[in-house]
Amino acid sequence: MNLVEEQITIEGEVLALTSLRAMYWEKEQALVASDLHIGKSAHFRRHGIPISAKVQQKDLQRLEFLVSHYQAKKLIVVGDLFHAEVNTDMADFKHWRNQNLDLEIILIKGNHDRLKDDIYEAYQISCCQKELLMPPFQFIHEPKASRQFSISGHLHPGVRIKQKGRPQIKLPCYEVSATQLILPAFSEFTGLAMSRAKKGKQFYAFTETSFFEF
Amino acid sequence: MSKTFKTSVGYQIIADWMATKGNLPFPFQEQTWAKYAKGCSGMVVAPTGFGKTFSVFLAVVIDYLNHPEQYQKGLKLLWVSPLRSLAKDLAKAMTAAIEEIGLDWEVAVRNGDTPTKIRRQQERLMPDVLISTPETLHLLFSQKNNSRWFKSLNCVAVDEWHELLGNKRGILTELAVARLNQLSKNLSIWGITATIGNLEEAAKVLIPYPEKKTLMIKSKLKKKIKVIPVLPDEVEVLPWAGHLGRSMASKIIPIIHANKTTLIFTNTRGQSELWYQILLEADPDLAGLLAIHHGSIDKKLRNWIEDSISEGILKAVVCTSSLDLGVDFKPVDCVIQIGSAKGIARFMQRAGRSGHSPYEVSKIYMIPTHSLEIIEAAALKEAVKEQKVEARQPMVLTFDVMVQFMVTLAVGEGFKAEETYNLLKRTHAFSLMTEDEFAWAIQFITQGGNTLKSYEEFHKVFLDDDGLYKVKSRRISMLHRMNIGAIVSDAMLRVKFMSGGYIGMVEEYFISKLKPNDSFILAGRVLELLHIKDMTVFVKMSKAKKAISPSWMGGRLPLSSYMSHFLRKKLSDALNPGTQERELRFLHPLIARQSEFSHIPREDEFLVELIDTKEGFHLFMYPFEGRLVHEVISALIAYRLSKIEPLTFTIAMNDYGFELLSDQEIPLNENNVRTILSKEHLMEDVVASINAAEMASRKFRDIAVISGLVVQSMPGANRNNKSLQSSSGLIFRVLEDNEPNNLLLRQAYTEVFDQQLEEVRLKDAFDRIHNSKLIIKKTNTFTPLSFPIKVDSLRQSLSSEKLDKRIQRIQKETFRKAKN
Repeated sequence: MNLVEEQITIEGEVLALTSLRAMYWEKEQALVASDLHIGKSAHFRRHGIPISAKVQQKDLQRLEFLVSHYQAKKLIVVGDLFHAEVNTDMADFKHWRNQNLDLEIILIKGNHDRLKDDIYEAYQISCCQKELLMPPFQFIHEPKASRQFSISGHLHPGVRIKQKGRPQIKLPCYEVSATQLILPAFSEFTGLAMSRAKKGKQFYAFTETSFFEF
Repeated sequence: MSKTFKTSVGYQIIADWMATKGNLPFPFQEQTWAKYAKGCSGMVVAPTGFGKTFSVFLAVVIDYLNHPEQYQKGLKLLWVSPLRSLAKDLAKAMTAAIEEIGLDWEVAVRNGDTPTKIRRQQERLMPDVLISTPETLHLLFSQKNNSRWFKSLNCVAVDEWHELLGNKRGILTELAVARLNQLSKNLSIWGITATIGNLEEAAKVLIPYPEKKTLMIKSKLKKKIKVIPVLPDEVEVLPWAGHLGRSMASKIIPIIHANKTTLIFTNTRGQSELWYQILLEADPDLAGLLAIHHGSIDKKLRNWIEDSISEGILKAVVCTSSLDLGVDFKPVDCVIQIGSAKGIARFMQRAGRSGHSPYEVSKIYMIPTHSLEIIEAAALKEAVKEQKVEARQPMVLTFDVMVQFMVTLAVGEGFKAEETYNLLKRTHAFSLMTEDEFAWAIQFITQGGNTLKSYEEFHKVFLDDDGLYKVKSRRISMLHRMNIGAIVSDAMLRVKFMSGGYIGMVEEYFISKLKPNDSFILAGRVLELLHIKDMTVFVKMSKAKKAISPSWMGGRLPLSSYMSHFLRKKLSDALNPGTQERELRFLHPLIARQSEFSHIPREDEFLVELIDTKEGFHLFMYPFEGRLVHEVISALIAYRLSKIEPLTFTIAMNDYGFELLSDQEIPLNENNVRTILSKEHLMEDVVASINAAEMASRKFRDIAVISGLVVQSMPGANRNNKSLQSSSGLIFRVLEDNEPNNLLLRQAYTEVFDQQLEEVRLKDAFDRIHNSKLIIKKTNTFTPLSFPIKVDSLRQSLSSEKLDKRIQRIQKETFRKAKN
């Protein structure tokens, strides 16, 4: 698997943005990801839309690669870990979890995370209803103005690259400003919400092989 | 016609009834009646307004009067029409006839507008005649026990077949007819169509059954069309689109006043909004008498406008193809076409909206929006005289529609694989389908894909113990019923006043570019965007004087190949000094300049212009094949040139030609021009020059919706399927990664080649170029042919105010250079 890093420093902390849709916080040995939407492909299948389970399996392989590459101790998920109900995709997740029981998983619940508490317990996931404070950062699901620097997801940010006379290209990105960082959606089976350029905002868009800063 | 038929009771009753109204049957009507009585199927070809409805409808009535014992209770005649708006008037006319004849039949309409209560009534006892649409028919197939309604059906009539042929609604119709033919033993199948270029084929597509005796009945009546080009006061030697427009308003106003009711056709919704404003400015007295009508305007308002036209309250209506078809408006005695109609059939159709009744003359004025369009007027006049109308190519192997149909059957009564395979194989659309492809479709709807393990929990269609494929989940049935049909609209948002009141629809794409407090024009009103919520745009009236009008994506019509043929011919004709044609004589200064500084291509010539200006090096070519084909050719030429020397080009085009602009000299000359325009390796080079995956992904949008891979969100509806939202682009990517052999994916690529790249037409064009004399002209000023393309490319990058100044400057410069 090809991994490209873009290091940034925020509030004195070094963060590694990766081209594999997650961020690594070295000091805490924590991998930070958002919007995994586990169970989404099976949810579609159950409703008569055939989406291959390979989609999620690839997501999990990527997660596996990141955890072992960084030897991460923690996985912080800033929301939307599970897409909908308990379904067959969950078996793959369970399998992955059982092989990584040393990894501490902390979930800040997102709008999609509506499963019963005992399910999270069974997977040994500690949940935060609203936010997780790990100074200097505040981890939340939906971006919101606050006093602390917040790290969030939810939006699935992306940028549009226009070329003259050719179709535009859309890429996922990390959106960073003076007060917050928004992560791209971890799952490949997600759309993009185009971010609007604004003063003070920076976009770290990426392909499989490189980063582009706007 | 046999004497016995003419003396039959049924014929006598109908002939007498017509006589009381002072009418005589047309020969084609009588012919249809007699052939229907013999159990034939067939295609009736007649222009609108000549009683084509009464050909097939009365045929069934006469036969019933003669042989009531051959008809059962319930549905006898099923009338399929592509247009919902026609249904009500059709039902009224049929009911009136039945009552006057003294028959106890019931005629009813069933479509998306029919209230649930009426639908339930119909399901208990079907009327004798049902007027419906292809989509509604498929919806009926998705109901439990639906075959009982069709078992004793005697006749299915498909109205306006030319409108359905050539698109996926046509495939829906083919499939519906196939199923009806399977259910009812002695079904007669009749199509009704306007003249098109491939009538024989059209009949075979609708009635592909060798055991049916099939006839073509053509009306000998011809609609008389008078084409009146409106010429500007003087010819602009360097023409550009849009500029001439405004000055033509003063010529349109007197036409409106001289006639009772005028329909003013534009090609896009955006243009119609623009012209509505222009005409009101030119004659404020028209306020209240001038209306605007297009597909994005609230349906209630549209209905009101249509009623007002019928009642003769309105003086004029600015419209788009939204009024191409549909109910006859008696008061309309004049039609104006603004800009190119792009096709002969469309032009004649529009002309026919005025002066409906037989023997009346249809009058159509043509308003050019730039000087070159005057050539088009001449071309159209000749085409109308020769009655050369385009063919409509039927689509084949549209697996998205097939998959939808199979699930429809599974939702309804369930289906047997072999039976359905045979049914499909007998249709025109799927006659070339292989067993493997059908097996794939079965797998797709039962397992989701060919790797079973990847699609656990996929529960769409089951094979039941009784050998029937069925859908069991109520939720899946419901989702499927909502999705039936083949018209995929762009994601549209409703536009509503904050204070309440619905105005119309705009594309999501357009609105996404606006910010709150921006102004835009819709339904002739300037509106200010407040906010967007639940697929609804909330607005208030704006005080802004200027605003942008939405660019609806669907607006671009391709130039038909017949049209391009006539255009090339007329341009070549324009050189002959002795010409009798007023339009071409009028254009003389422009033609003269073109031939002085460059060249006027004759029919057997192909013109290439190399023009050097301060801006850079321009290459212009003029295939006259329409914007869509030029998009492909220009990318191809750019690709071939860049193989000689790596260059970057800016590309611009219009319906006549295209421009490649580079900051370095373009390596094209007499020696290599044949190679650059060669027909060798054509498709390979085309594929190399475009991003086929990107194009296919765009084509996949419709396919994904039709095949049920994407759940469409209904405008204004609460998004209760939110957790199932996904874009077709995303699904396309997922399939390319995981199921590259998915037939729907392959279909997207096929559609790119057939429709986007127009492979056949492209090859024809290069054959023609191959056989032409290639003429290269070098100059340092823009020519009359190149100038409009140049302006179009400027338009994309400049605001309109700056654009005007810039163009004037180029015009001046060009003339100055010419003098030196």
